[in-house]
Amino acid sequence: MSCVCILTPVVIAAWPAFSAAVVAAASSLGYELVSDKARKAEEAVDIEKSVRLDLAQSELVTDQLGRDQRLSVTRDGVTITFSRDERGRAALCVAGTGQDEATLRALGEELGHRVVQQYVYQKLMEEMRSRQFVVVDEEVDENHAIRLKVRHWN
Amino acid sequence: MQYREFDITIAPDGTVELHVKGYKGKSCLEAMKVFAQIVGEVKSRRETSEFYEPDEQVQYRIEQKGT
Repeated sequence: MSCVCILTPVVIAAWPAFSAAVVAAASSLGYELVSDKARKAEEAVDIEKSVRLDLAQSELVTDQLGRDQRLSVTRDGVTITFSRDERGRAALCVAGTGQDEATLRALGEELGHRVVQQYVYQKLMEEMRSRQFVVVDEEVDENHAIRLKVRHWN
Repeated sequence: MQYREFDITIAPDGTVELHVKGYKGKSCLEAMKVFAQIVGEVKSRRETSEFYEPDEQVQYRIEQKGT
């Protein structure tokens, strides 16, 4: 080996790329997508508790000012809604009935982290393909880390 | 044809550990920069013994033979 480095992800994405990562991450954790109609119906009902988080080091780029860009997923009575906040950061609202705030926060952080993982994975795969890198091995380990072995011919 | 190999681990929180293999000298830093541009920022870096070998260059040694 020549060198080893740790890279911290910075999510700068247009909404379609970000929502693709949300869908992939949510699916891997057993969440289901909530349709717009169902989400609006849920918003009309009193939710017992909700927690708001944001993804640090994120920026959702959009040229669709004023357009409501939200995506909701649900599992076991907990609904997590992703949106773009006024500063352009990716925000999560975790709402549920019967869970305490700490549990909701933990669920939001778990899904938020997984979204970043999926975004990084998708971006790496796309960029490596365009630069003629070849993925010779790929696996997800028992800790849910994605391991890739990649080669590039000179 | 020679190839370079990279071991990439994407942790559940999106942090990436990148092992750049097969480069000698500081040329591995260029490879690392490519991935840093894609992912985000370099948090830490550790060079291995190969890093301290001479940079990959073609070297010519000219010897003058006695007549």
